[in-house]
Amino acid sequence: MRHAFHFGGRGSRFVPYLLLLPGMLLYLLISLGPSLATVFYSFTDASGLIGSPTKFVGLSNYREFLFLGQNARDNAEVLVRTLEFSVLVTVIQTGLGLFVAALLNQRLAATNVFRTVFFMPVILGVTIVGLTWTLFLYPLGGPAQKVLALLGGHSEFLGGPPFQAFLWVTWVQIWANMGVTMIIFLGGLQTIPSELVEASRIDGASGWQSFRHITYPLLTPSLNTNLTLAIIGSLQAWQLLLVMKGVTNGTQVLGLIIYAIAFGRTVQNPTAVAMRQGYGAAASVVLFVLVLIIGMTAQFLMRRRERRVLG
Amino acid sequence: MSGATRARPVRPATVASFAVLVVLAAVYLGPLLTVVNVSLQTRQEFSLNPTAIVGQPQLTNFVTAWNKANFPLYLRNSILYTVAATSLYILTAVFVAFPIARRYVRGSGFLFSLFVVALFLPYALIPQFQLMLHLRLYNTPVGYTLLFLVDPIGIVILVNYIRSIPRELDEAAAMDGSGYVRFVMRVIFPLIRPALASVIVLHAIGIWNEYVTPLIYLTKKTYMPITRGLMVFYGQYGNDWTTLAAAILMLTLPIAALFLVLQRWIYAGVLQGSVRG
Repeated sequence: MRHAFHFGGRGSRFVPYLLLLPGMLLYLLISLGPSLATVFYSFTDASGLIGSPTKFVGLSNYREFLFLGQNARDNAEVLVRTLEFSVLVTVIQTGLGLFVAALLNQRLAATNVFRTVFFMPVILGVTIVGLTWTLFLYPLGGPAQKVLALLGGHSEFLGGPPFQAFLWVTWVQIWANMGVTMIIFLGGLQTIPSELVEASRIDGASGWQSFRHITYPLLTPSLNTNLTLAIIGSLQAWQLLLVMKGVTNGTQVLGLIIYAIAFGRTVQNPTAVAMRQGYGAAASVVLFVLVLIIGMTAQFLMRRRERRVLG
Repeated sequence: MSGATRARPVRPATVASFAVLVVLAAVYLGPLLTVVNVSLQTRQEFSLNPTAIVGQPQLTNFVTAWNKANFPLYLRNSILYTVAATSLYILTAVFVAFPIARRYVRGSGFLFSLFVVALFLPYALIPQFQLMLHLRLYNTPVGYTLLFLVDPIGIVILVNYIRSIPRELDEAAAMDGSGYVRFVMRVIFPLIRPALASVIVLHAIGIWNEYVTPLIYLTKKTYMPITRGLMVFYGQYGNDWTTLAAAILMLTLPIAALFLVLQRWIYAGVLQGSVRG
């Protein structure tokens, strides 16, 4: 319901509307409108060239993307890889974030310094993170190679077999975003009264027991937030892959091929060829449906668990 | 503290926790310190042994990178885009968030939900590009800036924060005959400073770090921001890691320094932004 408006002056009832308009219109024009228009474009053969005629092609973009020949087989592979990426990132990033937050929540020295160090990559962004790790993984005697040599191993890292390179980028993605997970868990930990944990310790619970039976259940809201952000974020992520591997076979995820299709970057031709924006829009819708299905299922499961755990 | 000699006994678990944190910190600092080290090496030193700690640090890589990578130009562009887009965004955002938080406009709840669902919606990439193309704003600084006047999470943070400010304030101000604009600018802006700080910092960092948007929208070198400039440089001098490391470091240091100063607002923003609805 709308609250009575008290500010004075003639026609003052309209002033809030008038001033809301610029921000709202910008949002509709630049973000929300285009987002929804993706569905419209997915039924067309739009290109990235101005003045070239665009016509409706019905479902043919979807047919091509999902069912037609080699393309569809490649896309299925990309789809599977996107899911692998998402599962790895979600599980490891959330687990690691929880672990680090729990460590930092004890009364240790220099916890603020550690927190700063772990959060730093979040601020640095994909370009710096991607290039920094490319250097760290420099195959000719770089730091990671030296560490591996100590263990008697050797790797081509990003230049090796595609799946190996893909796993390295997956790790860097986790490394770069774990700070956000950690901060959200630390925020949750601060809302748990320390008396609760202390009382359980006095009653003879071990550190692990009081974490498992008191802290962890009470962290459920933070856990759900983190899982939601990680699932959606990882399904949509692709920029780090672009910085570290470019458009190459065997390392692509759905977000990356949408970009590659829409802006004409192919493995054979890294500078622009035909920009198939209608086809790319169809791929965007496929990704959206994937996010929706997985996101909703996860929400449903998390809500059910929250009711069970927190009552 | 009294009895410094009778220090609390250190538990083994504490030592173990601390040790684990140190190892993890090494995993986080290792790559960053590698960049520092390589940036101070000569090309010969790097090709002999990339991990050798530099004996005689030299700064020629920085000079080379600064000149060859077009740093001054890219830096200026990045600053212009970031400052222009962030200030315009904040100004419009508060006038969106305030009436929604106070339900001073019809359909406030619906308008708010439009921002909340943004996280789940399809990627706007392609229609956005078509829009800019048809507005003749492709490859222009104005068009590029326009793309960053939107940030739904910022609106969510502001609305949630404004809701915590008592409504009695509005009523008192209105009784005193204060106008709407004056009230928002003079009273609300100062009161929501903590939330504003978080939103400003997060939005600005987002623009500064943006890599794909300039890749798509700006092909002219004179318009490129520094992230894109760095990747162009990487494409040209991909094997010249000493110069490249210097370039990476020059881009990292200002952001890292800013982060150290502004961390509290950043953490607060991440937390507030994660709370929806």
